Amino acid sequence: MKLTLKVWRQESGAEDGHFEEYPLEGVGPEFSLLEALDKLNDDLVARGEDPVAFDSDCREGICGACGVTVDGRPHGPQEKTPSCRQHLRSFEDGATVQLEPFRSGAFPVVKDLAVDRSALDRVIEAGGFVSTSVGTAPDADAIPVTHESAEWALDLAACIGCGACVAACPNGSAQLFAGSKTMHLATLPSSQKERSRRAKGITRAAEEEFGPCSVYGECAEVCPAGIPITAIAGLNREKLRQVLRNKDD
Amino acid sequence: MTATLQRRQQTASPPRRRLPISNFAAKTTMALTGLIFVGFVFVHMYGNLHIYRGQEEFDHYAHWLRELLMPLVPYEGVLWILRAVLVTSLVLHVGGGLLLWTRARRARGPFRRSGLTRGEAWMARSMLGTGIVILLFVVFHVLDLTLGAQPAATDTFEAGSAYANLVASFQRPLVSGFYILTMLVLTVHVAHGTWTAANDLGATGRRLRQVAAWVAGLVAIAVCVGNVTIPLVVLLGVIQ
Repeated sequence: MKLTLKVWRQESGAEDGHFEEYPLEGVGPEFSLLEALDKLNDDLVARGEDPVAFDSDCREGICGACGVTVDGRPHGPQEKTPSCRQHLRSFEDGATVQLEPFRSGAFPVVKDLAVDRSALDRVIEAGGFVSTSVGTAPDADAIPVTHESAEWALDLAACIGCGACVAACPNGSAQLFAGSKTMHLATLPSSQKERSRRAKGITRAAEEEFGPCSVYGECAEVCPAGIPITAIAGLNREKLRQVLRNKDD
Repeated sequence: MTATLQRRQQTASPPRRRLPISNFAAKTTMALTGLIFVGFVFVHMYGNLHIYRGQEEFDHYAHWLRELLMPLVPYEGVLWILRAVLVTSLVLHVGGGLLLWTRARRARGPFRRSGLTRGEAWMARSMLGTGIVILLFVVFHVLDLTLGAQPAATDTFEAGSAYANLVASFQRPLVSGFYILTMLVLTVHVAHGTWTAANDLGATGRRLRQVAAWVAGLVAIAVCVGNVTIPLVVLLGVIQ
């Protein structure tokens, strides 16, 4: 199959970028989007041109390293799927596919399709962890957790931190990300002692670099991990609880 | 081949500023004041429906509002308390909205999100525009039917004759048209606003979220349908 890739090229964050069109041949519907970019880079290097920079790591949809905007939609047309698991079968033969970096004020472009998403790390540093020493693994059922709570916590913990929610948000908000990181810990008993402190830290860090949420719901639409929109209400609930409670736990 | 990028130049992290008014505070304020308005427009719509009970009943209802809780509070006491609450809420709601809108634009950066097709996203994007239409309408509405100020009001305006003032006002097709347009716009604003308020106030339970979504939609539609019938029946000459 043949495709035309319309790729955002930008030398560095300090310089302006532009789209450049590259015809791509010798690819098939079974190619992943990133494999198509690999093929393009092979061609570019063979011609002595600068390859397209993009992020990727595991290429099986669990690490959260990859992420490009495909025809205006973060990650690509296939729902609940990161860029590395998007396939060319989603596109018509001969189509022009536009690839640009994740767009957000908090994600400065490093080069071409690679952006700096360390603002997400700073949200995690502000509270997305468990600092209480819980000792060795307890006996099963020593701390009762309902099956429902455990499943809910796991659903929220599925976030891979790719930043697609921010790129999809017209407000540049990281509410879905911050909500999932707050809620999956708030749902379980092991780290309740720092529940309010976590909500406070995460909310403040998210507000310092990201925008406010207006419940567009675009984040949950593109989330490769299927984080439900309820997570955004979860962050608000935890923050409200912290304000009313005014304690660490 | 995989392109490997040496990140020699680290992009500078943006300046981290502690916000004087947090987004959380602004959003919670907007949610609470917004819910006050939702309650107000619903009760206001219910009050408006007294028009169908005739001139005497409607004028009596308008008068009753001024005598509410007398003699515990003075004449028009409750009305002025409500007006004070509404004006304060309006200032906080508009202020919060503009603050968050500015911050949202800055946070998104120069590349705007395009291609929003879902209804929910379209409603969220319309909040500033629908809010401005509603604000303009409120100014006109107060000049027309509360203060009776020309040229918003008709030249037959008479304080205390709520029924006659309303009918005379709606007999002007442009005024009725503006009213109906505002009610359609209000439906969108109330529906998305109520749903957003539920999220801002932390509604995470599955059943609670379902109830909030239904209430948001039904209240918005009820306010619209209840109010829109009034200019229509006036224009059709059913109420004269």
